[in-house]
Amino acid sequence: MSKAFLIDTTRCTACRGCQLACKEWYELPANKTKQVGTHQNPPDLNANNYKLVRFNEHLDGETITWNFFPDQCRHCIEPPCQGAADTVEEGAVIKDEATGAVIFTDKMAQFSTEDLDYVRESCPYDIPRWDAKTKRPAKCVMCIDRVREGMLPACVLACPTGTMNFGERSEMLALAKERLAKVKKDHPNAMLADQEDVSVIYLLAEAPERYHTKAVAQAPARNTRKQLFASVRSSLTSVSKS
Amino acid sequence: MSYTRRGFLKLTGAGVACLSLSQLGFDLTEARAYATSLKTKGAKEVITICPFCSVSCHIIAHVRDGKLISTEGDPDFPINEGALCAKGAALLSMSRNEHRIKKPLYRAPYSEKWEEKDWDWVLSKIARRVKDTRDKELIEKNDKGQTVNRLDSMFLLGTSHASNEECALIHQAMRGLGVVHMDHQARI
Repeated sequence: MSKAFLIDTTRCTACRGCQLACKEWYELPANKTKQVGTHQNPPDLNANNYKLVRFNEHLDGETITWNFFPDQCRHCIEPPCQGAADTVEEGAVIKDEATGAVIFTDKMAQFSTEDLDYVRESCPYDIPRWDAKTKRPAKCVMCIDRVREGMLPACVLACPTGTMNFGERSEMLALAKERLAKVKKDHPNAMLADQEDVSVIYLLAEAPERYHTKAVAQAPARNTRKQLFASVRSSLTSVSKS
Repeated sequence: MSYTRRGFLKLTGAGVACLSLSQLGFDLTEARAYATSLKTKGAKEVITICPFCSVSCHIIAHVRDGKLISTEGDPDFPINEGALCAKGAALLSMSRNEHRIKKPLYRAPYSEKWEEKDWDWVLSKIARRVKDTRDKELIEKNDKGQTVNRLDSMFLLGTSHASNEECALIHQAMRGLGVVHMDHQARI
């Protein structure tokens, strides 16, 4: 049985404990940032941030609403990035059977920049990033080192509000349903984002676009992903060569 | 089934111990570069207290060969149950981050540059400014003629890094000067 996260955004206060716990566990260096008028910092996922709390502000009449979205790899049940990477080299992206974690391996260091862009474009959530110089992949690995030892992922352990939850997939789905029923009483539009397709299930109180443009999958492909990506890739390659 | 944070650790810990590496589903050598073994394994665990606010969350500091290698919330402590805010979660960086300021910096009025100064210089400068401000601005009596000895033009921002005793001393010093406006770093 694979593992899953439930990210209950209705409990998130955007303290960014998860973001920092992740950064500290992987000992990632600081980013040089500047004030751009939002508390979302850094502005996007990057080689030094596998996890980012996104801040989205809305003015509804006289009321200001802030929708927080702790963004990370969804560890898809059928990862499109694996399908895309397989067309370059098999085994560059692997899926750990015991946990469901989607992991980028050192085989990816041989990928060209074009190949890496291709893998990134295949992600319906626009998650993967790479260090420009070393090509070190920058993506959540479900803290597989910790999970293997029976520990919680760093972000889940650090979360003080109960937003971040982790456990067996069946338990997370049950918890998700229970929470959704409660949240629906106050937020009729509440939903679970792509819960059938991913191991990182978000409970959203409002429509997904109020959180992030890629809170739910953009144009998901099903079942024939490998074939689809292979065909798309060959046609892309022929176009670029012509 | 429901479980606590530590309960989760115990349950799955036992489960994982029974699995052989091949059962984990992939060749470990293949993924070695990006999914390494647990860095804190076998390290000494020292319980410490987060210095940032009065909640005093417990933190496990992992020490190997006399060096701090990791920090994370202590799941056994009932107050934080392993949780930490962004400040507490970044405790490891506080001990080793190269961007930390290690020497006093001084920016003169209207200057755009910071200059490195030694402690003697900055402490004398601060003392001078405090004394001058108090001598000039102390309000001895209010509009009704009552003695107040109040200094409105200075403000103290406290720090979570001060101990209880240090806080008492700082507070008394500020009261002695007539300072009435005080707040705490953890509130900003």
